[in-house]
Amino acid sequence: MFWNTRKPSVAPPPAPAVPRAGEGLTRSKVFPKFLSALARQPNPVLLDLGPVVGPNVAFFGERLACKIIVEDVFATIERAAAAGERGSLSAALSSQFARESASVDGILCWDVFDYLDREAGRTLAVRLTALLRPGGALYGFFGTTDIELTHYSRVTFEAEDVLRVRTYPATPVRRTVLVTRDVNRMFEGLAVAESVLLKTSARECLFRKP
Amino acid sequence: MWKRDEAPRPPQPAAPTPAPAVPEPPARVEATRQPGRDLVNIGKSVVIKGELSASEDLTIEGQVEGKVDLRQNTLTIGTNARITAQVSAKVVIVMGRVHGNISATEKVDIRDNGSVDGDLSAPRVAIAEGAHFRGSIDMQQAKAGDSRPGAAAAAPHASAMPPATSVTPAASPVTPPAAPAKPPASVGAR
Repeated sequence: MFWNTRKPSVAPPPAPAVPRAGEGLTRSKVFPKFLSALARQPNPVLLDLGPVVGPNVAFFGERLACKIIVEDVFATIERAAAAGERGSLSAALSSQFARESASVDGILCWDVFDYLDREAGRTLAVRLTALLRPGGALYGFFGTTDIELTHYSRVTFEAEDVLRVRTYPATPVRRTVLVTRDVNRMFEGLAVAESVLLKTSARECLFRKP
Repeated sequence: MWKRDEAPRPPQPAAPTPAPAVPEPPARVEATRQPGRDLVNIGKSVVIKGELSASEDLTIEGQVEGKVDLRQNTLTIGTNARITAQVSAKVVIVMGRVHGNISATEKVDIRDNGSVDGDLSAPRVAIAEGAHFRGSIDMQQAKAGDSRPGAAAAAPHASAMPPATSVTPAASPVTPPAAPAKPPASVGAR
């Protein structure tokens, strides 16, 4: 008599998802101040240089009553990078924003400057400075480590001071590392309101237009 | 011998033999019809240039250039649709491509394979991950517009308007409606 001693095959539990480098939750001390600056404006206009994120639209549109303008600069960068035409980014960015000057109350740059060479970064910074209204605020990250970037970041607001970062693939590029002096010169015309070095070695900055 | 005096039982009818299995006719799917609500579908081979307006829910899978106006109803832009038009409806669901401004009195919903290049105006906006969007989103103007007299939500259409001034189907002809009040149930190639 043979007992069936074979145990039923059980599929091994799935391996826990390993977050990619750069992903995860980040607590921010600067972002609440950006929100405060935005909330002071009646019917604020917000310019987002990143890809559209549904929860962020609900956050800014419903809670802060913002009019949101989505200009996915990362998509522009990726198109140029995939075509091997990074050198044309400066010209592309100077014509991308078809808005009149001083028409925007808040700008979300994210870490776009990490993916631009100095010339393109300067062109973009000048354009953004012109777009900002007096009293407006610009929020962004600047990486401080010289590494190759293989992903873009998509940021979702979990709370007013908690950001969830997820990544999606990018054509590899060496990060453009800008020291504080370089950043301040790029945004001539704006005053540095906050500058915090995060655990991710990125500098979180808030600029205000006098 | 010890039987009680029972009333004679009527003879039990023989157990009915089970009827032979009769295959049921295949269910007729009329996905385009709901009681009290007609759904109109513009097929993917249909090209419309001009103004398209209706007073019933509409699904577009073809191409439209010009203007689409469904003030009191839901417009669904299907995965095959290519819209280059100004769009107005109560609810707009985007699963295809739209190049133009979208205005909704209730909600705009861009699904994960939807793409919009234009401005959105609606009190509620939902954008799924993976959707493409470039333009502006104004949720406050749409809310403020509801209370204004002559707002889109307060302008019902008495009956469906006939289709646009010019209709250019690529494959199948468009059957013109018999009367203005009765638009065709479905238009386009199948």
